[in-house]
Amino acid sequence: MRVPDRLVAAGGYVTRWAADTVGVLLAMSVGTFALVLLARGDPAAVLAATRAGRPATPEQIEAVRVELGLDDPAPVRYLRWLAHASTGDFGLSLRTNTPVGPEVADRLGVTFGLVAGSATVALVVGLAVGVAGAVLPRGPLRGALRIGALLVTSVPAFWLSYLLVLFLALRLHLVPTSGMAGPRTWLMPMAVLGLPAAGVLSRVVAVTLREALDRPYVRAAQARGSRPLSIVLRDGLPNAAGPILSVAGFGIGSLLVATVVVEKIFGWPGLGAYFVQAAGARDVPALQAAVLVMGGGFILANRCADVLHGLIDPRARRSSS
Amino acid sequence: MNRGRARTTLVAVPLVVFVVAGLLAPLIAPADPTANDLAAGLASPSAEHLLGTDQLGRDQLSRLLYGAQISLAITAAVLAISLTAGAVVGTVAGYAGGWVDRVVSRVIDVVVSLPGMLVALAVIGVRGPGVDNLILALALWSWAPYARIARARVASLRDSPHLDALRLLGAGHGRIVGRHLLPLALAPCLVYASTDVGTVVLAVATLSFLGLGVAPPSAEWGQMLIEGRPFLASAWWLAYPPGVAITAVVFASNLLGERLAAGAERPSIIRLVRPGRIRRATRPAASPDPGTVLRVRDLSVTYPDGSASRRVVAGMSYEVRRGQVLAFVGETGSGKTTAALAPFGLLDPSAAVTGSALLDTHELIGLAPGERRRINGRRVGVVFQDSGAFLNPLRTIGAHVDEAVRNAGRGGRRAATRRVSGELLRLAGLPDPVAVARQFPHQLSGGMRQRAQIAIALAGEPELLVADEPTSALDATVQAQLLDLLARLRDELGMAMIIVSHDLAVVSRVADTVAVVYGGRIVESGPATDLIDEPDHPYTRGLLDAVPRPRTAPGTRFRTMPGLAGGGPDDLAGCGFAPRCPLRQDSCDHEPPALQPLLPATAHRSACLHPPTREGSC
Ligand code: SF4
Repeated sequence: MRVPDRLVAAGGYVTRWAADTVGVLLAMSVGTFALVLLARGDPAAVLAATRAGRPATPEQIEAVRVELGLDDPAPVRYLRWLAHASTGDFGLSLRTNTPVGPEVADRLGVTFGLVAGSATVALVVGLAVGVAGAVLPRGPLRGALRIGALLVTSVPAFWLSYLLVLFLALRLHLVPTSGMAGPRTWLMPMAVLGLPAAGVLSRVVAVTLREALDRPYVRAAQARGSRPLSIVLRDGLPNAAGPILSVAGFGIGSLLVATVVVEKIFGWPGLGAYFVQAAGARDVPALQAAVLVMGGGFILANRCADVLHGLIDPRARRSSS
Repeated sequence: MNRGRARTTLVAVPLVVFVVAGLLAPLIAPADPTANDLAAGLASPSAEHLLGTDQLGRDQLSRLLYGAQISLAITAAVLAISLTAGAVVGTVAGYAGGWVDRVVSRVIDVVVSLPGMLVALAVIGVRGPGVDNLILALALWSWAPYARIARARVASLRDSPHLDALRLLGAGHGRIVGRHLLPLALAPCLVYASTDVGTVVLAVATLSFLGLGVAPPSAEWGQMLIEGRPFLASAWWLAYPPGVAITAVVFASNLLGERLAAGAERPSIIRLVRPGRIRRATRPAASPDPGTVLRVRDLSVTYPDGSASRRVVAGMSYEVRRGQVLAFVGETGSGKTTAALAPFGLLDPSAAVTGSALLDTHELIGLAPGERRRINGRRVGVVFQDSGAFLNPLRTIGAHVDEAVRNAGRGGRRAATRRVSGELLRLAGLPDPVAVARQFPHQLSGGMRQRAQIAIALAGEPELLVADEPTSALDATVQAQLLDLLARLRDELGMAMIIVSHDLAVVSRVADTVAVVYGGRIVESGPATDLIDEPDHPYTRGLLDAVPRPRTAPGTRFRTMPGLAGGGPDDLAGCGFAPRCPLRQDSCDHEPPALQPLLPATAHRSACLHPPTREGSC
């Protein structure tokens, strides 16, 4: 069985992948919209009260219902919501009576910056510790790396933040306790987000890479005099790419959600903090916007990991759905 | 085993403490966790308040214990709901099969791949905070792994005759699912639940910390931490205990999960450190004969075997000369491959190799990995058995050969490297190197893969080529072609070669000398013609009797001799072949017979006390 041209085959694969991704994103948008059906209380009443500044009269509530089209059938409302959302219009916040879209857009940069920074920490530390865990002989150092990785994934992010604040900020005065001004304020949030993800990643790298390095082709590479680094990079990691990429994709996607804790603690004006405020106030339009953006980012991170695996390993293309 | 189980138990201790503390909190807590006493606010730990008090003067130890109670109750509720729902959904889907199964599996896949925190925040966001919504939010997402586990367990039983029998006996679907399948599915779900405790505890604490879970004045751990936040620097007893409690429970749960998931673990071949446990030969290296490329003396290889160790090669000596082929012949497990690869550090890293192996004048045993790279791929090339597994499936043949050329220091710019690779592929008998270089290993036939391996092995213009079963698993015509190729390369390039094979008939085609290996020892060795024409050792004779006569059916494997293949060299006190030997006598069981020349000053040697040729009467 000859594959005629590697690039053409990969091109078809990428097209299929893109179509699937759109499908998954659409499915998620349905779920996000459905949140409004789960909501307790009448959003129209909440918004009317916000506008009036006191409990609203039935007439005011009815006016809002008509304005928002809340009496239309759910599918119609979904399509309308999706059409608006795709232009960045998520409606009015029930909490502040201001448009949600621009607020979310303003906050996006902060959150994505934070995620990008902590994803870098997670990838660099996770890969380095994982590779060390795979090539070190069984012994105290390897055990310490493993326990350390598990420990750092077990510490709640908010408590890890406390510890860092206590030592780095209050005792050593290396960094400010909170806020977002200047590069040094990025250190703690990036560490709190990135280190647990690095811990998870390092475990997967250690286990799957060790397995890959036990394969006959590694012995053959040693027989032709390849360097250990080259064996790890060319023979080991690519063959362990499936599990590593899927955990990395999930981990980086989850960083987006984990910003809710970190932004609150360090007082960052990002999407995560907005999400928590919206959740606390049962602000459904704001919640939907936050869920759609975070969920979308999460799905994209996972899908990107998938497509990368398919590009590295032609065998993975067939099984991908 | 026993030790492993003891450790697993030890790992679970924090979980047990968590459960006990949660259950007994009302009995063991020294004070009411909500009793304010502003006069005693922010008191540091003392005999009265073992963990001090918070800003409202509440006893921290009591709050910690009641926190365990809250966490435990919520976690138990979440796990009970998600385990039950998951097990039922998974069992039904697995039992039903067909489209039900496909739809449910798809839903499970989606839910498992969602980030739990996002689901929980969204649900609590629209439903409002509170314990009931917290449980709902967590259960909505945590049921899926249980469903997946139960489904897998039940689907594997779907077509079992046991179920058919139940149906024949008139059991309804409900009864089969409820009485017979669900209990089976619950067992693995319960094991998973023990590792899921940490996830739920962490989620409860995080949501409460965000103000979306358990509300004050309840002494939930996350809640305690947020209340203690303003006093972080001044009152450490507010900052540490709840965090330590959460971390301990989650850590124990994660560790337990990893222990349950981990299987047997082998060390990887690559080691950053110098291999240990190696003793060089004590004897000074004899000045080698100039024609000798590799000279091995007293080679032993030992593997750890549980707490003991097991020798697989015992005191082997052999040598191979320029332009000559040495063939190791023996059954699977005889130690022939180990003996051939040991000098080059190509065994499992747990192997302890002793003795001496001189390549020219360089001692190979005990070399550090860095020094090995100056030997392997440059002065020694290796061809492995074709199972497809010795080539990286993700790299093209060209990438392999190019790498070998660069390793050997013969690479240059990309084009120059490619040119050398092309020559090597052509030398190995692949007429269209450009096309082959672009192919992946699985796109080639077995014979072509072996030629590619030969090209890789030749990249360093080696003095010695080691080929481990280079032609097994190939059909007879291809075998013959490859052997002819090896013979031609030996003659044209003047290389020394070691060929390992289980097939004496095959190697007799190219071998100059033959060493017959049995049970980790060489039992007979000598020039190929002598050994084949006048075999001495009963084992060799057995091999030759079983070898098809020339020209009958070339390449047929020899018929296995009666009896089991040999064990290790130390399994028996005497001759390793004795259990299968038709000529065995009592004296054979005392000590292993030494490999001795048949006649003074001949190269033909044999290790047998009562060889048929010399004692005639047998
Ligand atoms: S030493 Fe004895 S048992 Fe061993 S091969 Fe010779 S005759 Fe057979």
